[in-house]
Amino acid sequence: MIARAAAGVLLGLPLTCALLALALIGLPDHGQAWIIAALIAFFPLWTALMTGSFFFRNGRRAWLAFGAANVLAFAALWSLRAAGL
Amino acid sequence: MKSSTVRTFRSVHTWTGIMAGFFLFIAFYTGALMVFHGALDTWQNPPWRAEAAATVSAQQLAARFAAAHPDQRKLFGVVMPYPGAAQAPYVYWPSADGARFATADDLAATRTDIPTGRFTDYLLSLHESLGIPVAGLYILGIVSVLYGLALVSGFIIRLPGMTRDLFALRHGRNLKKLWQDAHNVIGLLSLPFHVMFALTGALLCLFTAMLLALNTLAFNGQLTAAVGQALNDVPTATASGKAAPMQPLPKLIARTRQTILAHGATTFRPDYIEFHNYGDANAIVVVRGLSEGTLGTFGSVTLNGVTGKVLGVHAADSYDGNGIAYAAVFGLHFGFFGGAVVKWMYFVLGLAGAFLFYSGNLLWIESRRKRRQADQPARTCWMARATVGVCIGACLGLSAAFLALAVANGRGDADTIQKSVGYGTFALACAWGCLRPVPHAARDLLWATAGTTALAAIVDLARNAPVWLEPWTPLKTTVLMVDLTALAMAVAFALLARASWRRARHSDANSVWALSMPASSSML
Repeated sequence: MIARAAAGVLLGLPLTCALLALALIGLPDHGQAWIIAALIAFFPLWTALMTGSFFFRNGRRAWLAFGAANVLAFAALWSLRAAGL
Repeated sequence: MKSSTVRTFRSVHTWTGIMAGFFLFIAFYTGALMVFHGALDTWQNPPWRAEAAATVSAQQLAARFAAAHPDQRKLFGVVMPYPGAAQAPYVYWPSADGARFATADDLAATRTDIPTGRFTDYLLSLHESLGIPVAGLYILGIVSVLYGLALVSGFIIRLPGMTRDLFALRHGRNLKKLWQDAHNVIGLLSLPFHVMFALTGALLCLFTAMLLALNTLAFNGQLTAAVGQALNDVPTATASGKAAPMQPLPKLIARTRQTILAHGATTFRPDYIEFHNYGDANAIVVVRGLSEGTLGTFGSVTLNGVTGKVLGVHAADSYDGNGIAYAAVFGLHFGFFGGAVVKWMYFVLGLAGAFLFYSGNLLWIESRRKRRQADQPARTCWMARATVGVCIGACLGLSAAFLALAVANGRGDADTIQKSVGYGTFALACAWGCLRPVPHAARDLLWATAGTTALAAIVDLARNAPVWLEPWTPLKTTVLMVDLTALAMAVAFALLARASWRRARHSDANSVWALSMPASSSML
């Protein structure tokens, strides 16, 4: 249970950041009009990810899934940035 | 849902609840009282017992400050007292080495802390940081996150059979069922209220930390500037060097009120006024305050300090989505909307919240109870001691500080008095909880809280006796309401004391709450 909790807390945090950045980048003017809404969504999203981590069968699976999600999210974010968006 | 998943979330709920419960109890109890901070300020310093500096208006204070500190004219602000409470306005300004504060009495002296001494200052410091400087704010931020997890996990474990058990309050031989039902029904019916506090509490405590994480991890350091832009920073103007007479402050406030009301709000009460380039031809004045009848309850108007021309409006329907969202976080957390009905709702729901965390601890103890033996495991004994000592001790400490202020009656330094009495009593209560047998400690501390609270109300009613006899005195009813609410709370504590003592004598003997505890488990 500790391993799953740690996956949610430690990997859920950067994933939350990346997902919010991705959401804002997709909006007009880089989401300037939604920036406070995105900040308000930070804790609910992180809490949802921490909760989600307990639905995995064991800690290893949770770490793998959250790790992969992080890689995907940050890769998408950086490639969008590199593409000049 | 699989039973193993429910089991996992049950332990998540237990752990997060245990870690956050004590802090949340204190935050909710103080928060419930803080709903009426204006009334409490009036109670402590009613108009008929005014502070000397309170007769100085904000306008006079600003002028005197600008004369005394010409080098600070570039930027300073005046914090307005709650209308009616005879408190003094005070000046705030950022100096090279941190914030400085001063009231009209000590303009030359430069305090590094906000002039405190109000009971609500003490309540606020406990509410937002448990009275612990710097670290306390972050501790409560983490507690808010744990609280959010406890809410979600608690919701998940109640999902099976939720509709069936929602309105059940099984009052029978099985006391655990009754506590469980009470815990569930309060938790579920006030869930939206709790979700809102978990969210806004985490935001208010961890906003800077969150911004830092987002900024470095995913926004290439560009987020802070974007947030500043979203929240409409005050326009900056450089001083022209030409002196010009300032518009009278009441006029600027009146124009602000007129502007905000024209933007759809129904009321406006100024609470902070910021001066840029005071006395200069390029002076800017920002009047900030609270409004009703709008989602954006916190708003401000920026005016030219010399001509009085409105330069910018950040209030009511002039807010964009960002501004409204930001203002709504504050409006929701502080319950500043909907008037007196919402205030009483927040008060009742806040006390119910404190009960939720208290009952959570009781359930933890109850579900580890050994039913067939008088001797209970040490960990449940200590949990019971901590719950009684910390939770009831916090109530007792606050009531003692409240009583001390009423007895001191304006003599001595109010801040020293309330803190030494408040913390001292809390420490004694915790010691009492550790040393006495659990049922005795619970009874003693509850009776002490009831007595202290009632005594505070009686002392205040007596010291204001001449006022009650006068035909009409402004804010008399506000002060009277505080005393009557204190008396009602004293009765509630007395009823709890009686109930816990009845439980100790008559209910199931095999429990930490029963009188039949073996002598070895208590030290007094």
